[in-house]
Amino acid sequence: MSENEEVQKQKYVTFMSGNEYFGLKIECVNEIIVMQEITAIPETEEYIKGLINLRGKIIPVIDVRLRFKQEPFKYNDRTCIIVINVDSTTVGLIVEKIAEVVEISEDNLLPSPTLNHSDKAQQDRYVYAIGKVGNSVKLLLDPEKLLHDDMKVLEQVNAEEDEEE
Amino acid sequence: MAEEFNTEGMLDMYLFENTQLLEQLQEIVLDQRDADCFDDDSINEIFRTMHTIKGSSGIMMFDEITEVSHKLEDVFYYLRESKPENVPHIELVEHVLTVSDFIMGEMEKLSNGEDADGKAGHIVEELDKFLKSIKGNDKEEPVRASENAAPQQFYIAPMATSSSHFFRIYLTYAPDTVMANVHAYKVVFSLKDIAEDLLHYPEDIISDESSGDEILENGFKILLQTQATKEDLQNLIKESYELKKVEIFECTSKEFMAGFDSFGSEILIDLESSVEEIEKRAQENEKEDNVSLEDGGLFIAPDSIPEIKEKKTIAPGDFVIESKGVGKSKKLAKDKNKKIEKTSYISVDIKKMDQLMDLIGELVIAESVVLQNQDLKVPGLKLDNFNKAASQMTKIATDLQDVIMSMRMVPLTNTFQKMNRIVFDCSRKLGKDIEFEMIGDTTEVDKNIIEHISDPLMHLVRNAVDHGIETMEERAQKGKTEKGRITLSAKTESGKVWIGVQDNGAGLNREKILAKARKHELLDPTRLDSSYPDKEVFQLITLPGFSTNDKVTELSGRGVGMDVVVSNIQSVGGTLEIESTPGQGSLMLLKIPLTLAIIDGIVMQVAKTTFVIETGVVKEFINVKRESVVRKPNGEEFVMIRGEGYPMIRLSDLYHIEGGKQEISDGMIVLIEVDGKSVCVFVDYLIGKQEIVVKPIPDYIKRVQGLSGCTQMGDGSIALILDASGLIEK
Amino acid sequence: MRILLAEDDFVTRKFMANFLSKYGECDVTVDGMEAVDAFMMAMEDGEPYDLVCLDIMMPVMDGYQALMGIRNLEKERGIPDDKAAKVIMATALNDEKNVKMAFDLGCTIYSGKPINQERFEQALKKLGLA
Repeated sequence: MSENEEVQKQKYVTFMSGNEYFGLKIECVNEIIVMQEITAIPETEEYIKGLINLRGKIIPVIDVRLRFKQEPFKYNDRTCIIVINVDSTTVGLIVEKIAEVVEISEDNLLPSPTLNHSDKAQQDRYVYAIGKVGNSVKLLLDPEKLLHDDMKVLEQVNAEEDEEE
Repeated sequence: MAEEFNTEGMLDMYLFENTQLLEQLQEIVLDQRDADCFDDDSINEIFRTMHTIKGSSGIMMFDEITEVSHKLEDVFYYLRESKPENVPHIELVEHVLTVSDFIMGEMEKLSNGEDADGKAGHIVEELDKFLKSIKGNDKEEPVRASENAAPQQFYIAPMATSSSHFFRIYLTYAPDTVMANVHAYKVVFSLKDIAEDLLHYPEDIISDESSGDEILENGFKILLQTQATKEDLQNLIKESYELKKVEIFECTSKEFMAGFDSFGSEILIDLESSVEEIEKRAQENEKEDNVSLEDGGLFIAPDSIPEIKEKKTIAPGDFVIESKGVGKSKKLAKDKNKKIEKTSYISVDIKKMDQLMDLIGELVIAESVVLQNQDLKVPGLKLDNFNKAASQMTKIATDLQDVIMSMRMVPLTNTFQKMNRIVFDCSRKLGKDIEFEMIGDTTEVDKNIIEHISDPLMHLVRNAVDHGIETMEERAQKGKTEKGRITLSAKTESGKVWIGVQDNGAGLNREKILAKARKHELLDPTRLDSSYPDKEVFQLITLPGFSTNDKVTELSGRGVGMDVVVSNIQSVGGTLEIESTPGQGSLMLLKIPLTLAIIDGIVMQVAKTTFVIETGVVKEFINVKRESVVRKPNGEEFVMIRGEGYPMIRLSDLYHIEGGKQEISDGMIVLIEVDGKSVCVFVDYLIGKQEIVVKPIPDYIKRVQGLSGCTQMGDGSIALILDASGLIEK
Repeated sequence: MRILLAEDDFVTRKFMANFLSKYGECDVTVDGMEAVDAFMMAMEDGEPYDLVCLDIMMPVMDGYQALMGIRNLEKERGIPDDKAAKVIMATALNDEKNVKMAFDLGCTIYSGKPINQERFEQALKKLGLA
């Protein structure tokens, strides 16, 4: 980490989902594991696939494609789970394929261009910047938004339920 | 080590609790030092802290602390009720810190065994000035608590005995001494004037003549606590013809506490005397029986001290001295108390307990991973020795679990007793005649939970006494003949502890609550009063600063309480339900989850999903025929079992699990019952009974009704834990 | 002021009686039963005690029982709380449990032994007895 600070570079774990490459800051990634057996939880959002047992710790996993409201995909042996930790919440992200860990310097970051309408903006709010790596482009994800954003919604839902009871 | 005498239970409690409170207070204050003003929560918090400190200092008679905390409480009371603007914040912060420093300083002195002799006069004056200045022209003074209402009960700590000396004295008598016991008694008698505490062995030297022989043989032994010096003693106990040798050794208080054991292991004290046994009982802090405060024990004959070992709590009559010879000195319970405590109890950080619990959970899982390991399933393996070793391990793991669980489980008795005290206190102060009844006080609850419900419960009980039960005159006017009564009850119900505080008082006044809520703009102005259901109205009283009592009383009238109650209860995942009938009283029902970390569960399968349900709620497993299931036109199904109809839930339908069995006769019905309500749960098949480690479903996933947690099975897969009462409500 | 003392130990009794008689006329009993009897007699004579000082460990009837007895007598006669006798438990039992129990039963002052005279006096003043 200390060398990152010097050169103002940041390492990202990149993965493929749909046709795009996404990047997550390496600090929030705990580990990457192969697909596990998932225990479904009833009555949750579609993208929450359920729970996995990570060496005795039970963590929820979400399907990134479904999270972005894209078409579901069939899990295969390239499917991975990226275990991320945001504000002491540990969640697994199911992604189609892990690409690589890349280093992107700050001057190669662009703000995320937004059309700001319709569903697209909705899906786009998870992307806070675009990183250029050579000729390719990685969509850099804001992990907090990816999880938290709807945690707030969930909290509200829960709170409402509490009141009803 | 004379300071052992200074560590008093009462003072310790006082110092411990108030230090904590003050630390929190400072944190709040320092946190908001740079803000423009304190937020409402902090004002409430500071007010409550001062309120508490005032109360406890009053009982302990630390007048200056009482006075100064009372003043600051007034200031914050004014801030809270009148919400004045333009309060010089920094000045206020300084005042709070000054007060807090003063109290801390005094408590420091107390914990060092000194007197709390600081004077707070100037601080009080400053606070007065400050209060006046922020009040300004505000004529509308909020109702004040009665000035300096002194508590009616006081606790006086015994004199600091740090200057006491402790001595062991051996007396050896000439072998031909006649009636050595009488000689010994003479010595005891001569020491009585200077003794603060005196024990001797043999104990009975008056009525038991054989004690003389004992003295001749083994000598006469005295333990003495006194202000006197060794020289004084030597002057008092002179050697004589009979008294051959006097040996006086100064000893530490510890050795003194250890009693005659420290004289050497060959001497054993017989534990016959009733006082001894009483002491033993007094030390039993855990697992108390219900203390009966009935008046029946009033004229207990001295010899009716039965099977003491069975009963573990103190009660009036426990301290009757069975027989007391003239020279037989009383042994003081505190000495023995300390001796036992020293060896039997240590206090452990609850976090470490939690950690231990987690580890044992892991162990249980690891155990099942080992015992159900695939590698063992190779045909033809000889596993006799393995199985033997495995069963031994299982037993140890189970014992370990039991121990840790029992360490964490504490009966509510102590908490309830505290409430008894509060009812007593409050009713005396208010001149009300109130009976207090406890039901199910031996219900055991996780320690963590007790800590969280003690305060809320206290507030509820106080409220019941203060606001719930009417004064005697009011009751007479209303023609209520029965006495005011407060019932505190506890029971375990489907994984939750239900604690009820019920009174037979006036009940909540709907109109008053609504009026106050309107005044405080808590209601939707477009909604009519009548459109609020009772339940909703009653919940209003749980908002901060809400108090409908007309006159403010010292006890609870400032509306300290219900908001704290609710927030404390919610912090452990509990709920507060309020029921009330005008003229007949109210019921405050706390439902607190009894988060047992390891439960006995029935494991069941539905398609690919594994479910677990707590064994306690399962009444039976039934295979039923298709004909027994009746489907109502609305799609609901019920099962006829022995002529009774039970609603049926198909887990596969409820949770949209694909591939579950549809045909009733193929699967299994699990009949569960909670709170008198039953429901049949249809599953594919049963796997078995197993101990499971309850883990919460990660917060990230929204709560699903009917599921209370999840667990890891032996093969590493995850099972979902069903919440029976949630299922029934569903 | 009329004071009743119940204490079984002679030396302590002597000391306490001496100490208490500074504040008023002090009657002395040697156990809990005697104390309750004395209390009842005084009530019947219309000269109830204002202050009762009880030891806890006593023969026949202990301090708690005596305290209950006294409070019951008062209750039966409908004596309001503010007119009730002030009861002091003076005892070497000094753990929290005992203190609580005493307060629950309606004791006014719980004083550990050896008695801290200064504090004792202070408490009496607060109660308006000295």
